[in-house]
Amino acid sequence: MSTETNTLPPGLEGEAYRAHVRSWLATNVPAGFLADRPGHRTPGLEDCRAWEAAMHRGGLAGITWPVEYGGHGLSLREHLIANQEIGRLALPESVNSLGKELAGPIILAIGTEEQKQRYLRPLLEMREIWCQGFSEPNAGSDLAGLRTRAVRDGAIWRVTGRKIWTSGSPNARRCLLLARTGPLEDRHKGLALFAMSMDLPGVSVHPIRQLDGKDSFAEVLMDNVEIPAEDALGSPDEGWGSAVRVLSIERATNRMYRAWRFENELAHLVQACRADATLNRALESGLWHRRLAETVVDIELIKAHVEPVVEALVQGEAIGDRGSLMKLHWSEAHQRFAALALELLEQAPPGAAPEVAAARQRFNDIYMRGRAETIYAGTTEIQLGIIGDRILKLPRGR
Amino acid sequence: MNANTEDRDGLRAFAETARHAIAACQKLTLRERAARLAADGLLGILAAEEAGGLGLDAGFAVPAMEAAGAGLLGFPLLETLLLAAALGQDPSANTIVFGEKIATIAWSGTADHTGGVLHGTVGRAPLAREADLVLVATANGAALVALDGPGVTVTHAIGLDIDAPECEITLDGAAPVATIGPEALAHLREEALVLWAAAIQGSADACLALAVEHTGTREQFGRQLVTFQVLRHALARQKLAVEHIRATLTRYAALAAAGAPEARLARHTAFAVATRFGAAAVESALQLHGGMGFTWDLPLHRHLRRIRAWEAQGDNVGLHRGLASDLLRANA
Ligand SMILES: Cc1cc2nc3c(=O)[nH]c(=O)nc-3n(C[C@H](O)[C@H](O)[C@H](O)COP(=O)(O)OP(=O)(O)OC[C@H]3O[C@@H](n4cnc5c(N)ncnc54)[C@H](O)[C@@H]3O)c2cc1C
Repeated sequence: MSTETNTLPPGLEGEAYRAHVRSWLATNVPAGFLADRPGHRTPGLEDCRAWEAAMHRGGLAGITWPVEYGGHGLSLREHLIANQEIGRLALPESVNSLGKELAGPIILAIGTEEQKQRYLRPLLEMREIWCQGFSEPNAGSDLAGLRTRAVRDGAIWRVTGRKIWTSGSPNARRCLLLARTGPLEDRHKGLALFAMSMDLPGVSVHPIRQLDGKDSFAEVLMDNVEIPAEDALGSPDEGWGSAVRVLSIERATNRMYRAWRFENELAHLVQACRADATLNRALESGLWHRRLAETVVDIELIKAHVEPVVEALVQGEAIGDRGSLMKLHWSEAHQRFAALALELLEQAPPGAAPEVAAARQRFNDIYMRGRAETIYAGTTEIQLGIIGDRILKLPRGR
Repeated sequence: MNANTEDRDGLRAFAETARHAIAACQKLTLRERAARLAADGLLGILAAEEAGGLGLDAGFAVPAMEAAGAGLLGFPLLETLLLAAALGQDPSANTIVFGEKIATIAWSGTADHTGGVLHGTVGRAPLAREADLVLVATANGAALVALDGPGVTVTHAIGLDIDAPECEITLDGAAPVATIGPEALAHLREEALVLWAAAIQGSADACLALAVEHTGTREQFGRQLVTFQVLRHALARQKLAVEHIRATLTRYAALAAAGAPEARLARHTAFAVATRFGAAAVESALQLHGGMGFTWDLPLHRHLRRIRAWEAQGDNVGLHRGLASDLLRANA
């Protein structure tokens, strides 16, 4: 039931694909979308929805997915190329990245043919926004302690429980839900993954105000929700393995544009300083040079982690635990940079140029929102634990 | 020739040879080390074939430098490799590749080269007191000088490295035995960044292994130290440092092989990452040894000493200044 037309010219690969992406972005980015340009306005949900649907039609989303599910059938190399070009522009974050980058890949990996047909195209076309229901009030870092219970009852699963910090859930139509089918003592066993419709009776969403004043995440309550059996993903005890896969994607390949967006942020910071005499003078001081240079190095280091992962995946290797190395670095590096941007821009005198005001707005947001980067997708402490346990294989003691 | 995937076996063989040779060097004198490393073909990896070398690109020297770092090799291997290549078909290249002459480089300072003779003081020349030749920067390239010739005084410099101590050299009318142009010198300095990064990776990895071993055997509070989470996290950060350096070296090799213009920035990144994260990793490994870490006998301080020496030889401060000015110029 394709409602959209694909405008990606067939047969484009590598640098030819890059040229397409560049020219497509140059002509299609809506006015006011770019945070580093004059006249920037934060786009609303419907603007973002329309924009992301257009990106899909233009061949910039669902890049590696098979054509029969609405994808473009290209390789992860093209996915990287698109992300590099998207990253270079100060575009808004996707409102459906959980769908496109986490739910989609896991559905492609473990979903049935019928499920792939049902979920993937609506998601790419932005008719269905997804959220990720893993964390619970008593199961954050210790995800295997989750208590949301799913009990099979004929053609349905009865689900009761609480999820929390569920990003994007106030706008979501579907939830990638991790729930317990076995006893709590079984921990990693007896967990199942569902593609739960958020419209089902018994599902309620209670927004939680974030530190940036937005209501982006929420508590999701499920009270005796009847999930049709055809919305269960994989077998009932495959849930943990699938969840780990989701998390490894989240750490390693999700938002692959990070290094290039980070580069855009750094360039924006310098250009904003150019617009003000005091800040421009500050830039000449060696005090900032070392930290600016270290930011350049931090960005290049992200690229050095991302590019080989793409090649390894293209060669058929698994992501494994290397996502923990990457996630630790990009999250901490971005926080270091945000602090630098804040300190530099704080020197602006009152009545500074509008470019400076716009940059301060952007970098204040980046600094505050950046706090989450060392928390979600497994905290810094959890990543360090993974490196110690699974990469270094340190003994745990007798 | 480039270090692409087909050459992986070759690289592995180099790494193996280098590890053996470097382990054997521990009991040898400097002269004997030169002979041993030459016999294993390790001194001419980058030198032209006409000079008795293998004519390979810097990627092939990475495993040897890693092994040299890990094995605390007291020999100017990096200098030898680069100099033998920079000298091209000059006869002196041959003597260096075959280990007949030991060559080093004065990494800091510039000598005045007028009227065919050199004047001035240069520094940061590892092992110059025992070497035969030194490369000295001049206003238009660099000059190779015989260290036992007239007008050359070598003195011990204040420096950290004890395995390849740094020296200062005062030139008072010394005549060069060979010269290289400014491009060759610039190229040599650029390639050195990659080789130092590789050596630092080897050092950091070796220190991590020591720290894992120590915390896994020593008990306090009735437990192996490694079972304390705070120490596991410190070890994880050391591992992260090693993997950071490895990732930047791998990316550099790929970009260099493709002849990509980004290779220069990737090279600078490898050095900056190696010095920043490598030094921190070794400091942390030392910390995890407690009082033992503060002893002369444990090699941790030797690794730390040389990383700090390499950081200065490669002008880490100037490299960062350059990165900042590139950024500012690109956003003028
Ligand atoms: C902005 C944002 C968006 C999010 N979006 C989603 C989402 O869409 N879906 C979803 O499922 N979840 C989401 N999360 C939740 C996120 O995954 C969890 O917050 C995270 O896993 C940490 O769990 P917690 O909040 O319960 O903290 P805790 O697990 O209680 O941790 C508190 C502190 O203790 C530390 N700690 C915990 N255990 C250990 C240990 N064993 N050793 C050492 N230190 C430890 C942690 O590192 C942390 O510093 C989001 C979180 C944020 C901030």
